[in-house]
Amino acid sequence: MIDLVLVVAGLVLISIGVFYDFVGAIGLLRLPNFYTRLHAATAGAIGGAVVPMIGTALVALGADYLGPPRFFLAGAAFASSILLMVLAQAGSHAIARAAYISGEAPREPILHDALKDRGGE
Amino acid sequence: MEVVPISIAAIAALLSVVATYLAVRSRDMLAAVVFSAVQSTAYALIYYVLMAPDIVLVYIPVSVGILPAVAVLLIKKTERYES
Amino acid sequence: MVIEALVTSVLTVLIPIYVVSFLLYVVRVVKGPTIPDRVLAIDSLGYDLAAFMVVLSILLKSPLMVVSGLALALWVYAFDIYIAKYLEAKEMGE
Repeated sequence: MIDLVLVVAGLVLISIGVFYDFVGAIGLLRLPNFYTRLHAATAGAIGGAVVPMIGTALVALGADYLGPPRFFLAGAAFASSILLMVLAQAGSHAIARAAYISGEAPREPILHDALKDRGGE
Repeated sequence: MEVVPISIAAIAALLSVVATYLAVRSRDMLAAVVFSAVQSTAYALIYYVLMAPDIVLVYIPVSVGILPAVAVLLIKKTERYES
Repeated sequence: MVIEALVTSVLTVLIPIYVVSFLLYVVRVVKGPTIPDRVLAIDSLGYDLAAFMVVLSILLKSPLMVVSGLALALWVYAFDIYIAKYLEAKEMGE
């Protein structure tokens, strides 16, 4: 009984992750600016990669037809999700800072640049 | 059940052809490095789907890690746009 | 036996949506007007591909194949840092 509960919870988490992934891809394709696309890309990375990995760990704990290596799968998926939760924002922040400093990406549809008023950087 | 890995491998192969063509034709060398990384990722997915995870573990650090590092260092020493 | 049928059927439905979103990411990589757009798209593509490999190792019933997802996530992050350092050093070094 507890196996079925774990498997259903994991499949629901994987479905939520697929939804985030699709929405992030559409937002990355349709938004007009680099700094708005950053929002869609980070939503796609966190919601589309961390949440399915936790769901996969739950499914692997519940699915007993995989044999004893399923505990290895669950541990590796959980460790990957924790590591990715740290790394995704760090990478996005690095590329956004580089794009702002070097002026590579155009800031065209903009209302107010608060970072420029504070003296660049 | 058997049709899923083969179809994923076929889609990744088509995508790597597009990425390779764009990497050859591009005038901006940094964009060529990015397209080369797309091709490497598609090949990694093909190796994974064909049940060879050890090849993936060797291919990823060489082709996503070391090759763009050397290429970016070379672009920094020389020039970025092809004249 | 009911668990295996449930997992296989649900994951088989979910796989094509993943593939379609990968194609949309690649469209942004090809179209992207500047370099940071392309790097951002390949960043998200790599992370989601790592999650896709982890999900696919359950569907293919081979749990030891999960390690390559971790390696892909780490090295895509390293690729991101390379391009970011190049873009910053070009402006500040002159």
